[in-house]
Amino acid sequence: MTPETRKKIETLFERYPRKRGALLPAIYLTQAEKGYVDREAAQDLAELFEIPPVAVWEVLSFYNMFYTEPQGRHHVYVCTNLSCSLRGARTMLKSLEAHLGVKAGQTTSDGRVTLGHEECLGSCGTAPMLRVNSDYHENLDTDEAKRIVDSLE
Amino acid sequence: MPKITVDGTEYEVPEGKMMLQALDDLGLLLTEIDIPHYCWHPKLSIDGSCRMCQVEVEGTPKLQIACNTPVRDGMVIRTNTEQVRTAQRGVMELLLINHPLDCPICDQAGECKLQDFAVRYGLEHARTRDPRRPAKKGTPLGPTIMLDQERCILCRRCVRFCREIPKTGEIGVFARGDHSLLEVFSGMELDNPYSMNVADICPVGALTTRDFRFKIRVWFLEDRETVCNQCANGCNLYASVAYNKVYRYLPRRNDGVNETWICDYGRMSYRTIRENRLDEPRLGRSTATYSAAIRRAGEGLRQARDSGGRIVGVGSAFAANEDLFVLRQLLDGLSAGPGLLVVPTGKADELLIKEEKAPNAAGARLLGFEESSGPVGPAAVALVLGHALPAEAFEGVETLILIDTHRSPLVERADVVLPARYFAEKVGTFVNHARRIQRFLPVVEPVFECEPEGQVLQRIAVAAGLDGFSGTYDPFEISKRLAEEATAFAGAELGTLDDQGQEIP
Ligand code: SF4
Ligand code: SF4
Ligand code: FES
Ligand code: FES
Repeated sequence: MTPETRKKIETLFERYPRKRGALLPAIYLTQAEKGYVDREAAQDLAELFEIPPVAVWEVLSFYNMFYTEPQGRHHVYVCTNLSCSLRGARTMLKSLEAHLGVKAGQTTSDGRVTLGHEECLGSCGTAPMLRVNSDYHENLDTDEAKRIVDSLE
Repeated sequence: MPKITVDGTEYEVPEGKMMLQALDDLGLLLTEIDIPHYCWHPKLSIDGSCRMCQVEVEGTPKLQIACNTPVRDGMVIRTNTEQVRTAQRGVMELLLINHPLDCPICDQAGECKLQDFAVRYGLEHARTRDPRRPAKKGTPLGPTIMLDQERCILCRRCVRFCREIPKTGEIGVFARGDHSLLEVFSGMELDNPYSMNVADICPVGALTTRDFRFKIRVWFLEDRETVCNQCANGCNLYASVAYNKVYRYLPRRNDGVNETWICDYGRMSYRTIRENRLDEPRLGRSTATYSAAIRRAGEGLRQARDSGGRIVGVGSAFAANEDLFVLRQLLDGLSAGPGLLVVPTGKADELLIKEEKAPNAAGARLLGFEESSGPVGPAAVALVLGHALPAEAFEGVETLILIDTHRSPLVERADVVLPARYFAEKVGTFVNHARRIQRFLPVVEPVFECEPEGQVLQRIAVAAGLDGFSGTYDPFEISKRLAEEATAFAGAELGTLDDQGQEIP
């Protein structure tokens, strides 16, 4: 953890009645450094928050926007909740897995894409859908999904 | 103090407590009032995760969890309405939805809250046919504990224990929803001096100790009251016994001593009841009968006294007050001066473990035994209880009479050896580091011929021709005398002590 991140986190503390309340924003700040929070970074956070490292790890593992391993340059997450699944999301995910040669949760060997699946992203009316980082792509079919993935740098 | 009504009965409860805690403080929980619970534990922080403890509170539309709802004056609580029963059935159904139902091969069966509550509050059969979520079976979490992840109901008692009591924090619940799993934090092991307590507080068969696992089905065991004799804390215990054998120790709650915990070292010391025992009387290198050894000891003492030789007595911090009292009487009868005392020491911590590694150093001191670390000799006769001393300390001792429970190098050095009953085989009292006098009761019968130290000493005194000894030993009688005569023991008598012990002035 860089001294800058540490300082930013320390200023966060004042905004919460209990220090611990600042853990989520602090994890975001830490993750911004390398794109993920590894065991060492979790240890640093634990010291700063005066909680056992395992408690930081529980929070990290709870939310799927936190990563504990190196990530690809782009996150491609397919929604596989009910509406999307009814409209073919699972087949779409399978073909993306085949297309990229990785399983959901893995990163391509060139470090370009991390593929994953997610629960409802609130876009059920335009199912199936996926998100690339923070952009939604809706009303998809398999070919369109592949095209989107291929266009990523 | 607020008054609350539970199922029609009014109770006065302590102020500012949560319902479960308040009822537990009054000793009502699990006795008079039946509020099933998994995650709540009287000595851990509140989690509120299992939802099993729901009750109806008049004036509140929804059910409340008793573990995290503060008592208010005038509160009217119902624990067994249809609404409560329906909620409990629902909770049980959800807790069991991924449970492997492998009770026949589960070591917790028979003392499992999941079984007990399923019988009392659950549905009769599952309504789901989906496959149950597989997870890790029988994997070690560390040197002492095995985890069966499939059986875990995620109550987080073990997690809170590790963070709040030994403060080691090795384990956690990771991921979310029905992906959640109890695991050891990567790169760590569950390994601390108190680790095995997690198996006691785990309400299900997810955590078991590697030591006790699969040794015996628990319904053959009977839990008998005792105390730990491995350090001056004197933690309260149950010895689980079957076929005259102790299979394990469990903590017995005593808020003035050990709350609901014990250390792993003490827990494993049940083995000392059978292991390495001194099991035969000896005269020098050869086996002897009990009475021959006693005769020889008596003669040795008489000769020394008659010829004016020095007689030294050495007490033991492992011996009961009652036994030590007889030793003191005997030494007085021989005009031998106060007995010596050697207390083994070791590391202590801030929780339970004390520096003095024996249960009754405080009692021995109160009885006038004087600590010494130097050599015992030279002397004509040394009369010794216990084996806290190395053989070298007895250089220059002509006759060494040893009354002991376990084998040691000292046994080889001694001229007369008499095996004694171990504390687990007799009744008596110890005084712990905080001057709490505690009783211990026999939990097993000895498997070879031996007598309590007090009895052996009585017989030796008779053999030595001393006045005022009857040859019989009655610890209750002695304790009564101590309680009447010795100010330190005032009012604390074996016959009237209860299972929580008593502080002495
Ligand atoms: S292992 Fe046992 S104590 Fe720990 S969370 Fe699971 S059920 Fe609770
Ligand atoms: S702390 Fe001492 S008395 Fe308590 S269990 Fe451990 S060794 Fe025994
Ligand atoms: S189910 Fe996919 S966005 Fe809601
Ligand atoms: S005991 Fe109250 S929620 Fe678990």
